Amino acid sequence: MNSKIQSRSTAAVVVLQTLFTLSAFALLSIRNGVFDPWALIMGACLSAFNVVQYYLLKKMFRSMDHFVILVSQFLWSVGIVEIYRISQRYAVRQAIFLVFGTAVMMIVISVIKSSRDFGKLNWLFMGGAVILLASTLVLSRAIGGARNWINIGPFSFQPSEFAKILFIMSSAYFLSTRDKLTSFIPYIIFTAVCVILLVVAKELGTGLLICATFLILFYSATGRKLLTILGIGVFGAGAYGSYRLFSHVRTRVEIWRDPWASYNAEGYQIVQGLLALASGGLFGTGLGKGMPGAIPASHTDYIFTVIGEEFGLIFAAILIVFYLVFIVRGMIIAMNTDSIYDALLVFGCTAMLSVQSFIIIGGVIKLIPLTGITLPFVSYGGSSLLSSMIQLGIIEGISIKNGSRDDRELEMMGQIMI
Amino acid sequence: MKNEKKFRKNMKLSTGFFIILFSILILYMGYSVIRNGTSWYATPYNPRIANARSNIRGGTIYDRNGVKLAWSQDSKRQYNETKEIRRACSHVVGDIYGKSIGIETTYAKQLYGLENDLFTLIQRFISGDYKGKNGKDVTLTIDSELSRFIYKEMKGRRGSVVVMNYKTGEIISSVSILTFDPSTVNKDKLEDTALVDRATMGRYPPGSIMKIVTASRAIDMGISMEYECTGETVIGGQKVTCKHVHGKQNLEEAFANSCNTYFAELSVKIGGGSLLSQAEKFKFNRTFKYSDFTLYRSNFEVSSEKGDIAWAGIGQYNDLITPTHAALMVSAVANDGVMPEPKLVRKVGDTDNMSWNLISQDRIISSATSGKLKEMMKKAVDEGTGTSAKIPGFNVYGKTGTAEYVEDGKVKNHSWFGGFLDEDKPYAVAVILEGAGFGSSAAAPLAKKIFEYIILEASL
Repeated sequence: MNSKIQSRSTAAVVVLQTLFTLSAFALLSIRNGVFDPWALIMGACLSAFNVVQYYLLKKMFRSMDHFVILVSQFLWSVGIVEIYRISQRYAVRQAIFLVFGTAVMMIVISVIKSSRDFGKLNWLFMGGAVILLASTLVLSRAIGGARNWINIGPFSFQPSEFAKILFIMSSAYFLSTRDKLTSFIPYIIFTAVCVILLVVAKELGTGLLICATFLILFYSATGRKLLTILGIGVFGAGAYGSYRLFSHVRTRVEIWRDPWASYNAEGYQIVQGLLALASGGLFGTGLGKGMPGAIPASHTDYIFTVIGEEFGLIFAAILIVFYLVFIVRGMIIAMNTDSIYDALLVFGCTAMLSVQSFIIIGGVIKLIPLTGITLPFVSYGGSSLLSSMIQLGIIEGISIKNGSRDDRELEMMGQIMI
Repeated sequence: MKNEKKFRKNMKLSTGFFIILFSILILYMGYSVIRNGTSWYATPYNPRIANARSNIRGGTIYDRNGVKLAWSQDSKRQYNETKEIRRACSHVVGDIYGKSIGIETTYAKQLYGLENDLFTLIQRFISGDYKGKNGKDVTLTIDSELSRFIYKEMKGRRGSVVVMNYKTGEIISSVSILTFDPSTVNKDKLEDTALVDRATMGRYPPGSIMKIVTASRAIDMGISMEYECTGETVIGGQKVTCKHVHGKQNLEEAFANSCNTYFAELSVKIGGGSLLSQAEKFKFNRTFKYSDFTLYRSNFEVSSEKGDIAWAGIGQYNDLITPTHAALMVSAVANDGVMPEPKLVRKVGDTDNMSWNLISQDRIISSATSGKLKEMMKKAVDEGTGTSAKIPGFNVYGKTGTAEYVEDGKVKNHSWFGGFLDEDKPYAVAVILEGAGFGSSAAAPLAKKIFEYIILEASL
């Protein structure tokens, strides 16, 4: 692509994004009839941070993918705007995580852009993932029926968010280096263990996410139809089994079928989410005029409905389209790689982010049973944001790797021409 | 990896797969919110409504003649000065505490100006009411004086009366007893089912008014059965009895006399499947999706047992119907076989209720069949079981019903009447009085009084 054209068109996107953030925070600053200078400061800081981050990355890494990073910036900006509207304290924390996440992302980019697959280290990744997931069962305390948090001093983190990334990395390693059916056995056992640990910890959303990502990756990479169908069968049997075994799974299905039957008990959250979307209508009630207080977990899992209420259905649809842009760009990067490992890494991250967005958006709009999981980049949560940014870093890292390969090839062509 | 080319193809396929998935998200979200948004919003569980009520001056609810039924004054909700009107219209109007489901809840969005469609926003911009501090007025199709008259004539007997214009679907009156007073509903000690709107939520066995459905199927099929009524018959081991021995009966006579044994045999002759499909044409087992209000589902089942089919065909077995549905059913007969969409709201603000212009009407039965049924219903009032609804000099059409049910181990009867007048007074009436005995002795006389009121009242 002509780099001049690209930089001009992205400049427009950066300006629009800055305008969005600034005007949203300007609105928030006069929301209650009392002037809130902190909102303006927050808006200015966030916009400045986004702009600096973008141009810094652009300078550091030629051939970075502009769309992926800009879409992500838009997503977390919308998230921080809405989180600020719900709770100023949470927004500040989210912003701090954003800064920290950016640093981590840059490290990830640097590592990924000049690395190959991690060889035997992957066994360590797998062990790490299992330990992370098992540790929640031992060390955690239950929050909202799910045991998925670990507290270390003042910090609490969600180990499954990081196990997800280790899962993608080991998937990419196994699927790119193995061919014989038997050689996949450790990988399949590893996946099963992860999912079982997640279901036992009542983290159904992440369990579903790992299952779906596994099936997509396994089928795409091996092309084994029969085995994939078998996998879907096992997944179905497992889902049905846990439906029969665990009352919390049964409840999820019942409230999906008819949340109104128990609107003030189990179905409360779904009903309130649907009410929020219905109140917003096409154009939304306007920022600050909704009632996120009525929805449990409005700043985390349910943030999509709050955005739907205040910004309207059209905006919510646009948000979904932004995820699609991210996905398509991610897939293009994956297809543009020359090593299969790299392709699988990017494909895995992209597929996982897409499935995750689908599970939670589909859940809150009652298309599929609700399983608690965060909306990537948008939901409040340090572990979640960090995990999404690591995946973003992996995608960007490979994109940069592709770019420097292209540069080399061009250079070689140039030498030959001369 | 063996086949890299295939893997790259699969990645392309996955991209397509995700594009489809996310398109489904957008389409489903748009579809479900646009289709159900208003009814979701209007549930009493919506905290936004309570919030709005404390901040916004709510619109006024008028009846069809401009009588104020509910309005806001000094940040308090006021209701009609006459207690009888308040109690007669309570289930239609509703209350602001979310205890019952009436216009106060289902039209809260309009009454409290919570709409945010582009059209309303532009309107507000022009009128200068940017914040929407004033709600819109809502005009109902209800006639509060008729409702009051019906309320008085029910004399505290439990049951429900629905009166509708069978040409337009406008509900002129919908009274349900037990009832409540919306101005004091949060303080009053209420009887157990006072908040249930029997007209839309009360599901009763229809008894003989179900014979309208059975007879319509017989007419469609061209069955002209003759049968000798001996007062009882045994079908599939189940005994069906009549109040009198009717003797030799044809369809018209059996309908007018409401002969159970005739219709039991007829139902078996028609067959379970055929009867079920006819009942479903009349909207049994169907979810009613109307813009103005919710109507509970009516029920019709048959089994493979002949005895069950016989009972189903005369409105017992597992048959259930709401009074509003009964009114719709007779309306369809009156309206040349076409069932109108029921309407409760005439105007919102200054604009006609949007869907008012799009009245959707369903043809249930053929024009010829409805003509034949009309004749039979006239005969039922003129010389059959419905004579207590007869008004000299006027054509009254109707069907009585006596629906058996068991309460405290005793068999009791709901008293039903469904009927209508000629097209110069295009009104249909459904009356049910719980446990009041035969249709001819309680419901039909009440229907007669309502018809007389309608005939004398010039504005109707």
